[in-house]
Order: sequence, then C-alpha cells, then structure tokens
Amino acid sequence: MSQNLEIQKESSQKSFNLMKSIKVADIIRLTVIISLLAFALTTPGFLSSLSIRSLLSTMSFVECVAVGMTFITLSGNIMSFSIGAGLSAATIIFVALLPYGLFTALVATVIFSAVINGIQGWIIGYFRANPIIVSMAGYSLIIGIMTYFTQGRGLYIQGSEAAFFKQNLGPIPGPFIGLVLAVIVAQLILTYTRVGKRIYLTGSNSKAALAAGFEPWKTIVWAYVLSGVFAAIAAILMASRYSSGDLQHGIGLEFGAISAVLVGGTLIQGGKGSVLHTLLGTLLIAIFQAVLVLRGFSTEIQQLALGVVVLVVIMLQWKKDK
Amino acid sequence: MDKILKNRAAHPFILLVFIIILIGILGGERVFTASTLFSVFQQFATLGPVSLALGMTMIVRHFDISVAGVMGLAGCVAVLLGAESPLFGIAAAMCLGLVSGAVQGTIIVKLKLSSIGVTLGGLLTLIGLAYVLTGNQELGYARFDISAYIDKPHSDFVSIRFLSALFIFFIASILISWTRYGRDILASGSNPKAASIAGVRVEAIVIGIFIISGVFSALGGALLSYSLAAASPVALSNILVPAAAAAIIGGVSLGGGNGHPIGIAGGVLVICVLQSGLTAIGVEPFVHDIAMGGVLLLVGILNGGDLVRRINDFKRKFIGVSQ
Repeated sequence: MSQNLEIQKESSQKSFNLMKSIKVADIIRLTVIISLLAFALTTPGFLSSLSIRSLLSTMSFVECVAVGMTFITLSGNIMSFSIGAGLSAATIIFVALLPYGLFTALVATVIFSAVINGIQGWIIGYFRANPIIVSMAGYSLIIGIMTYFTQGRGLYIQGSEAAFFKQNLGPIPGPFIGLVLAVIVAQLILTYTRVGKRIYLTGSNSKAALAAGFEPWKTIVWAYVLSGVFAAIAAILMASRYSSGDLQHGIGLEFGAISAVLVGGTLIQGGKGSVLHTLLGTLLIAIFQAVLVLRGFSTEIQQLALGVVVLVVIMLQWKKDK
Repeated sequence: MDKILKNRAAHPFILLVFIIILIGILGGERVFTASTLFSVFQQFATLGPVSLALGMTMIVRHFDISVAGVMGLAGCVAVLLGAESPLFGIAAAMCLGLVSGAVQGTIIVKLKLSSIGVTLGGLLTLIGLAYVLTGNQELGYARFDISAYIDKPHSDFVSIRFLSALFIFFIASILISWTRYGRDILASGSNPKAASIAGVRVEAIVIGIFIISGVFSALGGALLSYSLAAASPVALSNILVPAAAAAIIGGVSLGGGNGHPIGIAGGVLVICVLQSGLTAIGVEPFVHDIAMGGVLLLVGILNGGDLVRRINDFKRKFIGVSQ
C-alpha cells in the first residue's frame, strides 16, 4: 500500500492538474464506499450470520480468480479470456487425479494451471503478442482439447479424499479461509519479492523495465504463472465444494474477476493497484449484490447494476494527462 | 497473380480454396451438396455481421468486445417489440445498437480511455439489460411465419437472412473503398496522430465506427433471434472468439489501419466452411475449436511486436548466423 501512496505522491508533484483529478476520483470513490456501507448497515437482515456467511462463500471463488487476474492486469496485459476455461479444465484434472491421492492431485492441478497460463504468458511476453487474441486462442484450445478428453461430460468425486476442503471452520466457510490465505500470499509476493516489484514496473512502463536491466517477458511469464496458481486454488476449492469437475464450472468467471479488479481501483492499463484493492473490489460487489437481494431486487437487476458499476469505474480512470 | 498475393483481402479466399480442397479430399463428393452450402451461408448470416462489426473497430485500432452484448440484447429487444411488426422490432434493435455504439464511442474518445475497458463495461451492462428485459428467461417469438420467411432457401441456398448479411458487407465495402470516409478510416487506424494533423477528424471517425459496429451487430442479433424464434440473455462469450478469429483471418491487422470488409467476409467464410465441412465429413466439433484456437494463436504470434527480434535471437543462438 505504501508503494502506491508513493506513486501517487510522485505523480501529484508532476502537475497541479493531475493532483486535482486524482482527488476528484478519490472523493467519488470514498463517497461511494461510505454510502454503500451505510446503505448495507441500514438494510434489515444484512448483519445476520446467515447472510454474511453466504456472502463470504459466494465471493471466495471469484476472488481467487480475481487475485490471479490482478497479476495479469498489473503486468500491463489487461485481462485473460481463458482463465475461466483454464479453471474448468483444472477442476477436471483435480477430480480425475484424486484416486491417485490428494497430494498428487493438488500438485498436478497447480502445475497444470500454472503451465497452461504460463505458456500464454510466454507467447504474450516473448513475442509481444496481443494478450486479448492469445487468451482467446487459449480459450478455444482449452475448451476443444478438454472436450476431446471428457467428451463433454463432467467427472464426479467418488471417494472422500477432498472432504478436507469442504470443511468449515466453526461459523467461517472453508472457501473463505482459502481466499484469505490466497490474498495474503499474493499481496506478500507483490510487495516484497523481486517478481512483484518487476510486475509493477513492467506494467507501468515496459521500456523502462528493459532499461532497468531485466527482460520484461520473463516478468510477464511470472505474472501468468502466478495467475494460474491462484486459479488452481479456486479450481480445487470449487471441485471440492461441488464434488465434481466440469467444463461449465468456470465459464464466465473471467468477467466477474476483471470486474472485481477494476472496481477495486487497479488501472486497466496496468502498473497501479494491488491484490488488496481487488479484495476491496470483490467485497464491494458482494455487499452491493447482497444488499440488492435483501432489499428485494431481482437477480436480473444485480447483473445490470454490476455492469453499470464497472462502466462507471472505468470512466473514473480517464487519462489525466495526454 | 502477384497483385492478388499482395492484397491482404485476397488471402482468406486463397485459404478458403485450400480448405475446400482438403475437405473434398477427406470427405469425397458427397460433402458438396446444396444443403452444406446452405448451412455455410446460414452460419455466415449469424457470424458475419458481428465479425464485421468487431473488424471495423479493429481497423481503427480499437477492439469492441461489447458486440457480443449488443447482439444478445438486440435479439431480446427485437423479439419483445417485433411481435406486431417485425420490421419495427428490427428498427428498435438497430436504434439500440446505434445508441450503445454512440455512447461507448464518445466515452472512449472524449475520456481517452482504452476501448477494451469501456466496452467490457458496456458488455456487462448490455448483458444486464438483457437479463432485466427478459426476466432471465428464454423468450419465445410467436411469429413462426417470419422465422420461416427469413430462413427459407431461395434457389436452394440463399435465404433472406444471408442476403441481409451480404448487404451490410456490401455497404461497408462501399464505405471503405469508394468514399472519402474510407481513406479517413484507414488513416485514423494506421496513425491517428498523423491523420489528425492531416485534417482527418479522428474522434468523429472513431465514434462513427462504433455506431456502425453497434448497428451491424444489432441487426445480426435481431435476425438471429427471429430465425431461432427465441431470444435469451445468455452471455455470448462463444461468439466473440469466432468473430475475432474471422476478422483476423480476413486480414484485419491487430495494429489497426489495415483490413477490408471483403477480407472479413472471406475470414467469416473460412470459419463457416471449416465448421460445416468438418461436421459434414463427420469430425467431432471440438476439432473446430482446436483449429480456430490454433489459427488465432498463430496470427497472434505472427503479429507480435518482437517476432523479428526473437527470430534473430534464435538464429544467433542456435544456428550461429551472425550478421
């Protein structure tokens, strides 16, 4: 967080105009957050343990994917269209390998997910290929190849090997604990490791990265590998919770994930933002949707509201300088 | 011959000939029937408009992912409002596309935002609107006469829906090739700054292209839902990939400034022939997904900014050719 403050401080010294526009956007953000919280707290039933628990467990899967997506967005590659399809494939790998032992299945799922995302990252970084096109190609290839292996059918968990991931810790839903761990680890990687710092630098200015003496493509591969690892965690939690692996599990998750990343305030062109921002974004979206449900709005209105929120948030990122 | 090879718009048609020959070798003569051709043209009518819409925005160096949302919502609007008069339904859908394109184009140009971000928000908003309008249910369209009318094969393989799709490709080709705007559009795509210095109103051009993109994809969506006699708000992530693939195969460059509607039409035909042809020779549908993904990946790499540098790296390292 302190790093972001520093970046803001530096850029605000650049020009008065810049400082002014950052402040306006920040004030709007703060107002929105406070009014949303006030709105939530005055909604009857919001503070009941049932509603909070359902809120925590529904946001967990999206948040894990969003943590992964944060690395991609921060590294300057906008978003991945294949992350949901990759997650679906990972749930199938996990379920298929469970009979060989939980540990094997876990390791294989994480490696699988890291590799399929890492390959896309390598192509994007090494050849400076368009991330949208490459991830769309990834989507098509993953869906095609996995359909060949599964013939379009889902796999079901037979034994009880994955029961551990279904457990709840007292009143706290299990997936939420996974999410908290994922957020902490991801934020530590971003803030304290060399890879994390280089992801910021690559995203804000990849030429400067080259000048600073490292190849940006290696950093981009790392960003994609990390996104794959966190998508694998979501896949493992999801497969355990639903007791199945299915190509349908992750469909469309990339849109929920990028929404959370952007609502949290990470810049779409990369270089600025953090995993904690993304957590904030996921929380805001989840609270917003929960409040709408409790106030009696339909799920359809929620969809519309989410779209409008994302559109407005992106508009708040207007370029301060030309 | 040289002239044809150098024309990017001709490339997809050369590829098309190869694919047709390949399918002919694998499947024999039984593949080439009027019904296969009709199914290719029907798929062209579905994929063509949305691919042209996306391709036009790529020509001006943008990327409109909201086309999938416009297509879905336009289908719902047309079905809801077109029960009395189908033409009114189509007109309403096209108005919606126009507004959506104008709003998003203006936001992108005036706030200087990346088009992917804005159209991502637009896509989610449009899908949300479709959910609200339909109450998250599939809407039936009671006018089966209309469905039959627009899909009826005339002279064995041409339907009204296919002709409508051809018509918008025709309009877009005239716009690009024979009007002053065509040159301005290509100039805005290849170098916006230079174009603006030369007196092209780049901002107006970009907004105009987004309007065209919205209208085209809305028309495609409205006709598709009439043809299916149904509309549903399901997000159309699976139309976005083939649409982008068709535009890219059709010679639209990722860096902007290059591409022609005729080329895009060729790209759409490649995708449709591949799909219908593979089905006709009994190959399972996932092969089509893999083929499309492979082509997209290849084009992505070939368009990569560092490709030449990496090839040189490779030569130096492994082949030992130095300067």
